[in-house]
Amino acid sequence: MPRRNDTSVPDRGELSRAGRILRRSLAVSAVVAAALAGSAPAPAAETPRRPNIVIILGDDLGFADMGFFGGEIKTPSLDSLASGGVRFTNFYTHASCSPTRSMLLTGVDSHLNGLGNMDEWTAPNQMGVDGYEGVLNDRVVTLPQLLKDAGYHTYMVGKWHLGKAPHQIPAARGFERDFSLLDGAGSYWDRTNFTAASPLSVFTEDGRYLTKLPKDHYATKTYTDKLIGFIDANHGDGKPFFAYVAHQAPHDPYHLPKEWRSRHVGEYDEGWDVLRKERLKRQIELGIMPADTRLAERMWFLPDPALLAPASRAFLGKKMELYAGMVENLDFHVGRLIDHLKRIGEYENTVFIVFGDNGAEGTDLFQMIAGQPGSRDFLFAAMKWSQTHPNAWGDPGSYVAYGPMWAQASMTPFSQYKGWLAEGGIRNALIVRGPVVKRPEGSINHGLMHVADVMPTLLEIAGTSYPKTRDGHETPPLIGKSWGPVLAGEAESPRTVQDVLAWELFGNRAVRRGNWKLRWEFKPFGKGEWELFDLAADPAERKDLAAEHPDKLSEMVALWDDYARTNHVVLPSRTPFETMEKQLPQRVPDDPGFPPLNQKKQFVPPEDEQAEPKK
Amino acid sequence: MKDESCSSGRVVRLLFAVASVLVVSARVSPEASAQPRFYWKTLSGANAVPLMDNSMSGNTNPFDPSHTVSPGANFDATLSMFGYARTFSVFDRAAMAAVILPMGRVSGDVTIGTATFSQPASGFGDPMFEFDVNVVGPKAQKNLVDALRYEPKFSLDLLADLAVPVGEYDSTQPLNIGQNRWYGRVGAPIVWQLGPWVPGRRTTLEFIPAVWLFSTNDDYVGTTLTTDPLFQLDAHLTRDFTERLWGSLDGAWYTGGQASIDGVAGDRLNNVGLGLTLGYQINDNLTFSFGYKSTVNDSGPTDLRMDGFTVSLISGWHALVEGARRLKAE
Repeated sequence: MPRRNDTSVPDRGELSRAGRILRRSLAVSAVVAAALAGSAPAPAAETPRRPNIVIILGDDLGFADMGFFGGEIKTPSLDSLASGGVRFTNFYTHASCSPTRSMLLTGVDSHLNGLGNMDEWTAPNQMGVDGYEGVLNDRVVTLPQLLKDAGYHTYMVGKWHLGKAPHQIPAARGFERDFSLLDGAGSYWDRTNFTAASPLSVFTEDGRYLTKLPKDHYATKTYTDKLIGFIDANHGDGKPFFAYVAHQAPHDPYHLPKEWRSRHVGEYDEGWDVLRKERLKRQIELGIMPADTRLAERMWFLPDPALLAPASRAFLGKKMELYAGMVENLDFHVGRLIDHLKRIGEYENTVFIVFGDNGAEGTDLFQMIAGQPGSRDFLFAAMKWSQTHPNAWGDPGSYVAYGPMWAQASMTPFSQYKGWLAEGGIRNALIVRGPVVKRPEGSINHGLMHVADVMPTLLEIAGTSYPKTRDGHETPPLIGKSWGPVLAGEAESPRTVQDVLAWELFGNRAVRRGNWKLRWEFKPFGKGEWELFDLAADPAERKDLAAEHPDKLSEMVALWDDYARTNHVVLPSRTPFETMEKQLPQRVPDDPGFPPLNQKKQFVPPEDEQAEPKK
Repeated sequence: MKDESCSSGRVVRLLFAVASVLVVSARVSPEASAQPRFYWKTLSGANAVPLMDNSMSGNTNPFDPSHTVSPGANFDATLSMFGYARTFSVFDRAAMAAVILPMGRVSGDVTIGTATFSQPASGFGDPMFEFDVNVVGPKAQKNLVDALRYEPKFSLDLLADLAVPVGEYDSTQPLNIGQNRWYGRVGAPIVWQLGPWVPGRRTTLEFIPAVWLFSTNDDYVGTTLTTDPLFQLDAHLTRDFTERLWGSLDGAWYTGGQASIDGVAGDRLNNVGLGLTLGYQINDNLTFSFGYKSTVNDSGPTDLRMDGFTVSLISGWHALVEGARRLKAE
């Protein structure tokens, strides 16, 4: 994230410059220009040509999953958005869901907006500290609030995960209509949640807490149905809409209608190494990754699939088959939304922004919750989540997640996954399509983007601005940079090489400036000390350059210190990773072919040298 | 954070659970009337040894699948069966070969013409060989990958049985354990999966249409016994109650099978039987079942009347599963 004192808050002049660019690219009316110049919310009737905005968020969707990012998963609808828009390969979120969502919806650093830590993992020393409320705090103003003020209809469907109390739910934070799962995850079929302490998922619809779900509820379908209903209810009143489509999919558990479960039978039987190679090959062919990109090492605790029995590979491959089905089902429902917007004539005037909220999920959440026999949550799972037979995978009561091996494949070519600050935890595929995009259709951009950029970008598109105060108190600074010049084709990145992005979550830390990345992670994923990587040469973070570049290391550590100070970072006294070094095998390098012991094939002597035993 | 989803131990446990459940599903025909879940498929190379005990009574010799009715007779029989079955694949189709050896004792009154015989019989019956091959449905489960992906959906088999007349037979007695003639059947067992194929939730509708064919017994108490082909339709609606406990509603319809003694024809069969079966998988290698079946339209003197209890214990094994168990036990 940019340092607060130099780049975090776009000043009025910056907004105006970006606004000029957008005005040109949008060819919007003079009324919009006037609204921008005055920075005042524009009445709806005066801005009939402002574009609709649809943000499609895939929960735990991996960088390499969509077809146009190298995935073999069939995503024609998402690919159609990519082919008509622009793809971004250097887009960053946070390492887990609620911190990312908090920055998406506020433009404010997670340590200031209330999500300095996930609510589920707030450390003892973070309790009661401003910025660590675990929900969007009252100091921030949200994107839907500002868009609503600017004359937009504001709709939300899907996962919220930013607070459950009446003053924290979507309706209270700016959404005019909503159908929302307030929890971080849950069953796709019903209200079953994961722990005995909190056994039911909580849903709201238009600000009311639901006592039951619609008939034939399946999350991805219901969210799409509801959104289409919201759009239709107000269509024709002249106001544009902002829709936040925060799908649960493809977050585990992989619940999926039967007809979507068997579309890839056997296709992943060769294992994760082969899949990563195939995906990287396609990424290079597509131009997503440079030609000389190397894959990250297979994480040391994962088996070499070549040494697994075919049945084991098939068993584990079936999990990936299910995940692929989840993504394809998500794509199908995105397609339904696209088709509907085309039918009602709104498609071409809609800005689509598509991305995943963090790296793909490699941690076994279910094991963490219910893995101890005899525990309260184990017994809860025994009643509610024990459909473990592979033929039951996808059904209510099943809990399937694909594990770290496939998560790493989803994040090809990067290292690690959700929860961590290697590129595999925070770098995501981003698609932007719509009337604001003036770059060639289907083009790829490698500019340095951040999820907090969405706020200033969309405020500009809507012709409004970020207020200095709200309800009598000063608003926290925005940290993002508008994508206006990039979308207009007038810049390659919203950031200069001097701009800084930084992260902290669960005690792991990272800073990026230019191509350099500083990273501190708990052992054994990290070294428990600062590591330094050159992402241009080494996007997979294979080679720690800290010892070779001590000056650069010091410079980057100083940037971290500044970030932490500016954003009131409180490193947690407890984390989900505190005992990991004892749980995982000792970290060793991944050297292909080692050990030869069980790799060598049967020796067959020359035929003319063979003989029967002598009598 | 420790991820067990990729640990080989967990994978192996789950895979072998899949396989071992299937191993004990391999079962062989205990009697003329096929048991429910009899034609479920399992991993190729699986073995099963059934041990079954039937306590039966009625007006027909339970050792004789022609179900020839002896009007006014009342037999009581204890029929045990011991056998061996092995599954394999034939051109990628699931197949099973089995041999069954019946044994036991039967007693009661039999009237042939004007003579009434009252005598017991005991000993070994006619061994029966069975061959069954699937022709419609999923391919054979030749390995654990196939087993992992197996669901029967709609499966149709071809079945052939042949009994060899080497069992205990006394030509002076009408009531025998062996039948002194070749007989067998051809059939087309059908297993129709209803709903998910998940242990604990499986439901099947099963039909076994079959025709029994009998050669002539030219030494039946000094007479010649011939029997027309008998059409038999067994039907079962089976349902899991838990992963280990299942039950079945059973029905059977017999028609034809007109027997003639020295050219004097008896009546054709046209009878219906109903029954219940409960099965329980004791462990990965052992399954127990208990059933009762009775004819229902049996009030007439020439109607087939038969009822009986059946208990069975089937031991199944597969070299792969056994080997894995030995390794796990180390």
